[in-house]
Amino acid sequence: MKTKGLLIAILFLTGQMVFSQTNVGIDGFVRNYTSVLYDNGDFNMLQNTLNLDFNMMGDKVALKANPMLYLYGVDSLDFRMREIYLDLYFKSVDLRIGKQQVVWGKADGVFITDIVSPLNLSEFLLPDFDEIRIGVYAAKLDYYFGNNTIEAIWVPVYAGNELPIPGSIWYKSPEFPAPPVFDYSKENIKPTLDNSEAYLKFSSTSSAIDFDLIGAYTWDQTPSMHIKKVFEPDSLGNPVLSELLVTPEHHRLGIAGGSFSSTIKNFVIRGEGAWVDGKYFQTADPMATDALSQNNYLHYVVGLDYGIGNLKLSTQFIQKIILDYNDYLLEDEYQNMMTFLAHYDALRETLHLEFFAYVGLDHPNALLRPKVTYDFSDSFSILLGSNIFMGDTDGMFGRYDNNSMLYTKIKYNF
Amino acid sequence: MRTLNLKVLTVMVLLFIAGTNANAQEKKLTGREIIDKAYNLPTGDDQTSDLTMTLINKSGSERIRKIKQFTKDFGEVEKSIMFFTAPADVKNTSFMNWSYDDPDKSDDQWIYLPALKKVKRISSDSKSDYFMGSDFTYDDLGDRKLDDDTHTLLREETIDGVDYYVVQSIPKDEDYMYSKTVTWIRQDNFIGLKKEFYDEDGELLKTLKIKKFEKISGFLIITHSEMENVQKNHRTTIQLSNIKINTGIPSSKFTERMMMRGI
Repeated sequence: MKTKGLLIAILFLTGQMVFSQTNVGIDGFVRNYTSVLYDNGDFNMLQNTLNLDFNMMGDKVALKANPMLYLYGVDSLDFRMREIYLDLYFKSVDLRIGKQQVVWGKADGVFITDIVSPLNLSEFLLPDFDEIRIGVYAAKLDYYFGNNTIEAIWVPVYAGNELPIPGSIWYKSPEFPAPPVFDYSKENIKPTLDNSEAYLKFSSTSSAIDFDLIGAYTWDQTPSMHIKKVFEPDSLGNPVLSELLVTPEHHRLGIAGGSFSSTIKNFVIRGEGAWVDGKYFQTADPMATDALSQNNYLHYVVGLDYGIGNLKLSTQFIQKIILDYNDYLLEDEYQNMMTFLAHYDALRETLHLEFFAYVGLDHPNALLRPKVTYDFSDSFSILLGSNIFMGDTDGMFGRYDNNSMLYTKIKYNF
Repeated sequence: MRTLNLKVLTVMVLLFIAGTNANAQEKKLTGREIIDKAYNLPTGDDQTSDLTMTLINKSGSERIRKIKQFTKDFGEVEKSIMFFTAPADVKNTSFMNWSYDDPDKSDDQWIYLPALKKVKRISSDSKSDYFMGSDFTYDDLGDRKLDDDTHTLLREETIDGVDYYVVQSIPKDEDYMYSKTVTWIRQDNFIGLKKEFYDEDGELLKTLKIKKFEKISGFLIITHSEMENVQKNHRTTIQLSNIKINTGIPSSKFTERMMMRGI
């Protein structure tokens, strides 16, 4: 007890010394988010949010905590500590320890080398991108030399993507030829040294080009479904498929890639690509073990940004290519998508008009996201927008064609 | 939003930077020479300041933007970095600009948006864009190059006992947003205390007035100016405070690392 008290006292005194020259601040926002489905008039989202951002910043140490409270409907509370970490600043090195969001890459709205922080996909891709990322418990070290940086990240505790749960309008039940029985015993990854993830990035900034190279030894953030067929004899003694034993399991991935951006006159050209080793894909091959096939794949994006006056335009082409492809695989060999963005500021930057679209090219389908935001003051804004899903129901957007919605967000920043 | 040439913000308007020329009144200067002197007066090797920009609409309501800014001249390149401290929705946003002496080389610019947690390279857009919804364009704030315009000395005037050169500048680019500007430049220190901007139809569009300048570390710095759009009846004031010159800002200040760390 005495030792514990002494430790607390030392920590307190150390904190007093370290933070004696600090800036302390609390920022945040309060937001109401309401949306209604065109299809049936249901309110699919009645959400009030309190976001707090605590910062203590000194010359050598900084602390950050970002708790976020969501109130759904009348009384359903969801508390999340999005980030809480400690920064230590040295001459050429920064060290960040704690729960943190890490953002990599140059692409907008797609995740190719942006692989460190998993995603909260419980509302598909609709939340703001700062809210869609999930913080990871990690130690991140950045070493700076000139305009170059080497970043090393160690993640001892695995965190995967959060997916829609049954009952959600975003949940799509997988189709099976027989009743599935799920075995979740292998879904969790124990926080052990062997199960750690490691990430490495070299980045460089210069007048001509910004680029980075990345490598990762990580886990697939979406579990693979190991499927075993269970047969039972029919009345004649012949084996008949009676059920499927489905075992979700994460697998290791090796990832290498990079990204760049550069300017040519008023254009910004961006690119990002990753080679992913060890991914398991669902297959219909009767000879495959657990209905899975291990294939590497290539995933890349090229993009172009252009600005003229208060109008900003941007487009991206994204392609995923499964290597060593065979026709048994359930995913397409080539998956092509484009994004489009137009943003216009008016009335001395108080009125903001924006149109963003994901367009799937293989099974023509799209998500269209027009919105208009008006800033009543420097702190208070109101947004009216729509998410419109359309096209082939086999596409990742068209499958939600019943979920098109109109929504508002009223936000107060402080 | 875009960043602007840091030299710009730190000094506010190069056109109005102070200087002395004891012989100025002894020989007849051309309009180009007068503008050249105003553009090329020393401003120090580095500068730190707090900038407050107030946007006032025709009903008198105000919106305030606050920026902490650093600039340093590295010879062939001038680097600047700005950290937004208010309002709340843009707090911790930062901009970095590298501006080159080479007239054929465009500025390099980056923006850090704390919500996205990443630094993005952006293009150095048209200099005719308005800065942060204010009445100042990037050119108004100092990005204008000397030979972008043809300068003519119209006359000399004495106002309240102070002698001025009155210089007309007509852009060589016929599609430029102003058809001409007229600047009143003090003869004793080459500070321009007033400037009129005329639209493409030749009508008066905006008037810039210098409300206050101070001598800091041996340099005359504009610390309070106001731009009024007389056609739309709104205006913007810019005030500089906590100005520090030649403090030896390290080069490491102008990096992506600092953009993300903030102040």
